[in-house]
Amino acid sequence: MLAQAEHQQQSAAGFKFDNVKRNQLLTGKGFKQSTATKTGTTIVGLIYKDGVVLGADTRATADTIVADKNCEKIHYLAPNMYCCGAGTAADTEFTTNMVSSQIALHSLNTGREARVATAMTMLKHHLFRHQGYIGAALVLGGYDITGPHLYSIAPHGSTDKLPFVTMGSGSLAAMSMFESRWRPNMSRDEAVELVKDAIEAGIFNDLGSGSNVDICILTQGNVEYVRGYSRPNERVEKEQSYRFPRGTTEFYVTKTTETATAMDTSA
Amino acid sequence: MSKLKPGEISMGTTIMAVEFDGGVVLGADSRTSSGPYIVNRVTDKLTMVNENIYCCRSGSAADTQAVADIVRYQLDQYTAQHGEPPTVKVAASLFQEICYQNRSQLMAGIIIAGWDKREGGSVYDIPLGGSLHREPFSLGGSGSTYVYGYCDKTFRRGMSKEECIEFVKNTVSLAMTRDGSSGGVVRLAVITKDGVERHIIPGNQLPEQYTG
Amino acid sequence: MTSIGTGYDLSVSTYSPDGRVFQVEYAQKAVDNSGTAIGLRVKDGVVLAVEKIKHSRLLVPNSNKRIMTAGTHIGVASAGWMSDTRHLVKRARDEARHYNSTYKSPIPANIIAERMGMYVQAYTLYSAVRPFGVSTLLATMDADGPQLYMIEPSGQYMGYHGCAVGKGKQAAKTEIEKLDLSTMSVRDAVKEAARIIYSVHDSSKDKLFELELSWVCGESGGIHTHVPQDLFNEAVEYAENADASDDEDDEMDDDE
Repeated sequence: MLAQAEHQQQSAAGFKFDNVKRNQLLTGKGFKQSTATKTGTTIVGLIYKDGVVLGADTRATADTIVADKNCEKIHYLAPNMYCCGAGTAADTEFTTNMVSSQIALHSLNTGREARVATAMTMLKHHLFRHQGYIGAALVLGGYDITGPHLYSIAPHGSTDKLPFVTMGSGSLAAMSMFESRWRPNMSRDEAVELVKDAIEAGIFNDLGSGSNVDICILTQGNVEYVRGYSRPNERVEKEQSYRFPRGTTEFYVTKTTETATAMDTSA
Repeated sequence: MSKLKPGEISMGTTIMAVEFDGGVVLGADSRTSSGPYIVNRVTDKLTMVNENIYCCRSGSAADTQAVADIVRYQLDQYTAQHGEPPTVKVAASLFQEICYQNRSQLMAGIIIAGWDKREGGSVYDIPLGGSLHREPFSLGGSGSTYVYGYCDKTFRRGMSKEECIEFVKNTVSLAMTRDGSSGGVVRLAVITKDGVERHIIPGNQLPEQYTG
Repeated sequence: MTSIGTGYDLSVSTYSPDGRVFQVEYAQKAVDNSGTAIGLRVKDGVVLAVEKIKHSRLLVPNSNKRIMTAGTHIGVASAGWMSDTRHLVKRARDEARHYNSTYKSPIPANIIAERMGMYVQAYTLYSAVRPFGVSTLLATMDADGPQLYMIEPSGQYMGYHGCAVGKGKQAAKTEIEKLDLSTMSVRDAVKEAARIIYSVHDSSKDKLFELELSWVCGESGGIHTHVPQDLFNEAVEYAENADASDDEDDEMDDDE
């Protein structure tokens, strides 16, 4: 009975919005809320002849500071599915992790490989339930029994199914590449090249995106995840050295002081 | 009634549906936007909820997708329990229940249209507060305000299927050119007892009209 | 009831070795002790008729109705424990109202019959409860036309053209089978229903009885209601005449 009473108290179910009003009031009075690390990001996905290519930059920012110069934004979801995340880094990480384990249990239960639409539905349900307070904008790609699939999922839980998608602060730059160069039934090499160029468009033209290009190619029964497929921001050899040669600072006096004396301890 | 939340993806939209003897024609533009950015220029806002029943979605993309998903599930249940597909009225009342009960949290303006063996073609409208209206034709979304006059002037009772298709095509494309939040292609669905026909009219093949 | 007293009849949660649940069969017995109720489904409506046996002359005529309405278009007549019937009718009303509020359309006959069947069946599963001591006739009229269902204490439910429950059910069924229900009008069905109730009434065992007649049809506006007084009187007259001529036949038989 006790256990049941406790359970009933806890099971007032789900995410609570109790503090939203309070926080709005405090913010209105000038209280600054702490900010989560956002990945000003470029993430993209593209369907080609035999599969899906996902791409992402690797910059994580906290306000104006680059928090991580080489983070991973393409998250594992299932052996046949990966998911790029933009928005609040912690939210994308935890959301994809959670759905990943749900998917693993689901395919254990059914004895089949999970479908991309299943993962999409799980993600959208989770995000919709939290009414946009989970700041995860996702690009979900995968290859299942019904072929290649690509979805974009916005933080409020709306989804779009398209042959090419971009998300994050660099999505406009990346979309310009897709809109000008995308064709149906592209070859693998063409697709990878276009995804790389789309991410680089974000890296070079969007302040929130930067560093390297990660790429993930999903085909029937195969995944190829390439960390740093392109590294356009490698630190190069400095043209000049800023080290000062010995003797740059002159000295006039040399003095040696004995700070300890040897003791005879043999006695 | 709630406002769009910051950063929420909305379907600033033009949607409509018309009833004719033996069926309905549904039409929609294809623009989905987030603020000034077009997130999806080929959206399909005409969503199937049962064999011969579709809905046109306007408002928050997330909210209307969620509502349509729930109703589709409930109508599947209904079909299994009753051994026959639901009427459009049943579908519309399920939509209304959700839209009304959650009216403070939802941004969803939905038109339900379809064919059933009781009523033939029928069109129902559920605007923002969650009320339910049966109408011979219905308009929705931000673009609709520009074309109410055109519709009231043009609509006639007893139009044929072909006339209705033309009517919807013209109305939606007029709204698309005047409303900044509507655009892309015109999507159509024609539902009769024989099933559903889908048509797409690309943005560069819209009916001729004044473009300035 | 070969196995009476062997201990397998004490609970619905125990089968007898030959696969029976005696409590459910006993509930059926309770139904068989009750005044007869019949239902006739004809081409344009459904008629319900009940032989309401009066235990006392002090009962107020036309009160203590045995035919009830479970939703505008649903009539319920039953045989068995009236208190159980009232409980079932409350459930039927709740189901009808709930269905109507979700789908904004009247509950179809097969759906309410199924839901009531499920409810009754649930009382045949647990040792802590007693099965319903009633057989319920559901008369409805909806978009699919007139429908008649009967739900038994076991939870079994079936659709009928005509059916009878209660002590006179065998005689009533024989009479109903003689009728051409598919072509009969609902007005004629009211008279025939009255006649059958009068003919199966056994005045040697139960002196006093009252006839109850209800219908749901086009003439009643698709609404279930007791039949109008003039039609009722007409039906009673028809029934009494038929009964009298039956008696004459009997007498003639005696002469031979």
